[in-house]
Amino acid sequence: MSPGSVTLNGMNTVPRFITACLAALALLVLTPALAHASLDELLQTNAKLIAKSSSKTVGPVLDQLQQFGGEQAETFLTNWQAKKLYFIKQTGQFVLAEKAPNSADGKKRMLIRDAVTGAEIGLVPAKSVKQIKPNSGVRSKIAATLVPFQLGSPDPDIRETTLKTLLRDIQPSHLAPLKAAITAETVPALKAQMEKAYVFGMLAHGLDDIEVEAAIRSLAGDLSLDVRAALTPVLDSSVRVAVALPDQANVARIIIPGRTTRQSDGSAGRLSAFGGKDAELSVAAGYDMMVDAGLAPPFVTRDMRDDALVAAAIDGRVASFAIADLNSDEARDTAYQQLVDQGRAPAMVSPLARQQAVSGAVFFAVYDNPSPVVTAAARDVLNDIQTMVMFYKYLDLLLDALSLASIYFLAAIGLAITFGVMRVINMAHGEFIMMGAYTGYVVQLFVPNYTLSIAIAVPAAFLVTFAAGVAMERLVIRHLYKRPLETLLATFGISIALQQLAKNIFGTQARPLTAPGWLDGAFAMNDVLAISNIRIAIFCLALLFLGLLLYVMKRTRFGLETRTVTQNPAMAASMGINPDRINMLTFGFGSGIAGIAGVAIGLYSKVTSELGADYIVQSFMTVVVGGVGNIWGTLAGAAMIGSLQKGIEWFNPSNTLAAQTYMIIFIILFIQFRPRGIIAQKGRAVEA
Amino acid sequence: MKKIIAASALMCAVASEAMAEIKVGILHSLSGTMAISETTLKDTMLMLIEQQNAKGGLLGEEIVPVVVDPASDWPLFAEKARELLTVHEVDVIFGNWTSVSRKSVLPVIEELNGLLFYPVQYEGEESSKNVFYTGAAPNQQAIPATDYYLEELGVEKFALLGTDYVYPRTTNKILEQYLKDKGIAADDIFVNYTPFGHSDWSKIVADVVALGADGKKVGVISTINGDANVGFYKELAAAGVSADDIPVVAFSVGEEELSGLDTTNLVGHLAAWNYFQSAESEANDSFIKAWKDKMGAERVTNDPMEAHYIGFNMWVEAATKAGTTDVDAVRKSMYGLTFPNLTGGVAEMLPNHHLAKPVLIGEIQEDGQFDIISQTSEVPGDAWTDFLPESKVLVSDWQGLECGMYNTDTKTCVQLKSIY
Repeated sequence: MSPGSVTLNGMNTVPRFITACLAALALLVLTPALAHASLDELLQTNAKLIAKSSSKTVGPVLDQLQQFGGEQAETFLTNWQAKKLYFIKQTGQFVLAEKAPNSADGKKRMLIRDAVTGAEIGLVPAKSVKQIKPNSGVRSKIAATLVPFQLGSPDPDIRETTLKTLLRDIQPSHLAPLKAAITAETVPALKAQMEKAYVFGMLAHGLDDIEVEAAIRSLAGDLSLDVRAALTPVLDSSVRVAVALPDQANVARIIIPGRTTRQSDGSAGRLSAFGGKDAELSVAAGYDMMVDAGLAPPFVTRDMRDDALVAAAIDGRVASFAIADLNSDEARDTAYQQLVDQGRAPAMVSPLARQQAVSGAVFFAVYDNPSPVVTAAARDVLNDIQTMVMFYKYLDLLLDALSLASIYFLAAIGLAITFGVMRVINMAHGEFIMMGAYTGYVVQLFVPNYTLSIAIAVPAAFLVTFAAGVAMERLVIRHLYKRPLETLLATFGISIALQQLAKNIFGTQARPLTAPGWLDGAFAMNDVLAISNIRIAIFCLALLFLGLLLYVMKRTRFGLETRTVTQNPAMAASMGINPDRINMLTFGFGSGIAGIAGVAIGLYSKVTSELGADYIVQSFMTVVVGGVGNIWGTLAGAAMIGSLQKGIEWFNPSNTLAAQTYMIIFIILFIQFRPRGIIAQKGRAVEA
Repeated sequence: MKKIIAASALMCAVASEAMAEIKVGILHSLSGTMAISETTLKDTMLMLIEQQNAKGGLLGEEIVPVVVDPASDWPLFAEKARELLTVHEVDVIFGNWTSVSRKSVLPVIEELNGLLFYPVQYEGEESSKNVFYTGAAPNQQAIPATDYYLEELGVEKFALLGTDYVYPRTTNKILEQYLKDKGIAADDIFVNYTPFGHSDWSKIVADVVALGADGKKVGVISTINGDANVGFYKELAAAGVSADDIPVVAFSVGEEELSGLDTTNLVGHLAAWNYFQSAESEANDSFIKAWKDKMGAERVTNDPMEAHYIGFNMWVEAATKAGTTDVDAVRKSMYGLTFPNLTGGVAEMLPNHHLAKPVLIGEIQEDGQFDIISQTSEVPGDAWTDFLPESKVLVSDWQGLECGMYNTDTKTCVQLKSIY
């Protein structure tokens, strides 16, 4: 394509739009002078800007390339963006390079082709060319330049990526090609997105108020982040001060310094007594604005007064006062007043006078958009959206709390059996969780298919930790049943030994436990309410375990025997139950469940030797708060701790650690009032 | 109890008492939380010493490493430093990772006039006569990365996420002030601290994403340390946050940390360091080759390793120049020494005990390596930041002024020993 031919740059449509970017306008005017005969020439003139690109300086080059147009420019831009572009160090010529086999003497070589024509040039030593690496700022600018080239691309994938770029940053020059693309588009989903992009484009650059208003109204009820991101700038406003409110301005709000706040829709809000937003404008800042606007004399602070006095000191005297006497505020004020009277310093304004001056003036904010129709529409739509967003935010918080509760429940449920039912304080419970997670990691080393490997890992983790639990019960805990303190110390020792063992085997670096592809991503109702699939899976797993555990404990012979042995081992033994065997199996069962929890936890966070230690405190808390010896209690405890933690995080978003501290304080208080937990055991079992 | 068992189980002092003349103490945690990062540095030091001995040692003597394990226990660092200086009588110590462990060692090192090379990027606001800081000061990592956000990526809203301890808090304090000076409104800066090893990131990630609701470009500056990063990046990927929408620049995530992660979803996120394994230079190629030959082909190199590489070689050069390993003599001959760094430039030791190093910004690639997209010329390290009013007036100059905390306003030395 020759440089003179018409391209999709929107030259003839410019009059329809405000070109916000002045540089672009200037360039359009200058274009004839800059026109290049060939792409090669254009590139060589701008060689430096391309080879060492910065998003601040690359604009003009990209504009020229867009002006130039044509397939070659598009290919060049695509290669540049994909970091495929190199230049020859000696000549500065732009080439495409790819790795070639080493030369006979073992030197690395590259096969290079001309960046414009694609013609092969030949093999060169790797050191003679240098790769051009545009940073992501530059790459996004290149992508924006490519938009008009690629919106009409026959490949729907390319159109889709282009559209994504477009949605990030719509420029006035994009509107015409976009409109053309909408008519030509055949894929319905893409068409809908393009129409949305066009609406955003109208919002940002549209001239006709009626059209823009219609565009805004069409967005009503859309909760997506990009809609809010497009609407909010329409309501940008700037603060002004005047003697009286002007008639013509599109006023957003009247500001009373120190009294009103700015709300997200641009209107004024009242200062809350309960913290929250600070006043938008302080009295001092308001006064400073008046000074800048020439409505008031400058305010002299104490420091400024003292500086003025020091500057005016001559021979140990300031005006008619000795410096030594200026040791009180009153004396300094008087001396300063004298300077003022002599015209050597600006007059002092008392804080009261400042307050009065500020009350006398009108402070207000004016929308940057001059049309009241547009801003009113944007405000209506945005306010509706904000209400919905708040609603979904609460729902989202609830989901987060549920998810955290299910994770705590999974971590604690094994403990609910060993500690809750058997009363063994097992400090190594966390290490069983860790063992399960490492089992999952090892299985993934041998089974590359992630779905299959998780399916194998879950029973494998159960078996490994079941065996470990049984071994620990046989070797240690059995001998300490009547001595809880020794049990605690012994299991604590085992926990440290297991952690160190894991460090020796797997190293100290965190190991990946990768979830299968179908668990990637998130389930999203809209841009506010979303939860990652992996958390949903963990939630389901927790539910499954709750059911399984209830079934085993209430409906099977094993469960019945466990409960019998816990209540009265001697009586159980006389009924033909072997308490030793039951204790061993119960402990193994609890440990095995911890192992499965480990796989789940490893999937959403990380596998390290300290993984278990992170959960042991929460697990004990969950069991104790819920009520020892009761599976429903563990559920209630997990629900309470999970939602409490999320609730506190909601109020105190900047410090997650503080949220956890508050939660522990709350739990200590709670235990004071309900020492047996939420669901307290009743009857004789309590004393057992 | 945890401490005692770990310490007694793993503590080992590898010193051959018979012929040792020049001893180098290595004070890195080999157990506990920080072992993840610090074990690598111990191995680096052993490799460097081996290489130097192969070249004929130092001053005609063999260099003998003395390895101790402070077990990620901050007070134990001070005890182990004392043991190195008084029992083993080492000539120099290479060690520490976290700032809190360095602060714990400072009084011992200053009391016994030892010499410490500290290889990790840190928060600045410190200059001890007995410590050479071969890692980055804030102006060599945090500030250039923030500039890159502001200028190249056009970020208008910042989320400063960090682990709750001294380095992230001090760095974020400096950055907050710096951003405000650059005209970013206080409302547009979101700060969050999480405990070590935090794993429940869903709410924080959702909060960060929600920052973009007003149409401003959001960027995350992460001073999250250790394995909490794994959960953070997993949640980011699950939330579908791509680097084009919300870039994350990390100051504590390097090649070593990435090797524990599935990086396919992290492509394009950033890290700022003074060194990346992908840097192209002959010195780097041979360093990587030596490391892989010693430790295995899957091992990677990282920034603190380069810091030890420069620090150790400078110390060798300074001792050779001084003709002795006496602490004061070596210290004086350190000033102005230059040594080629691994990224193709030259590192210079400044009178404030910091290095002049280039600042590199890299994008994470699928193979867990970084693609260097921005490299400055050498930036001199600044002990006292220029962006906090109380530190602005302070300078450190151990050569001319013989003071690490000199107030340029009052022209007095505030302190000679470290009392922080």
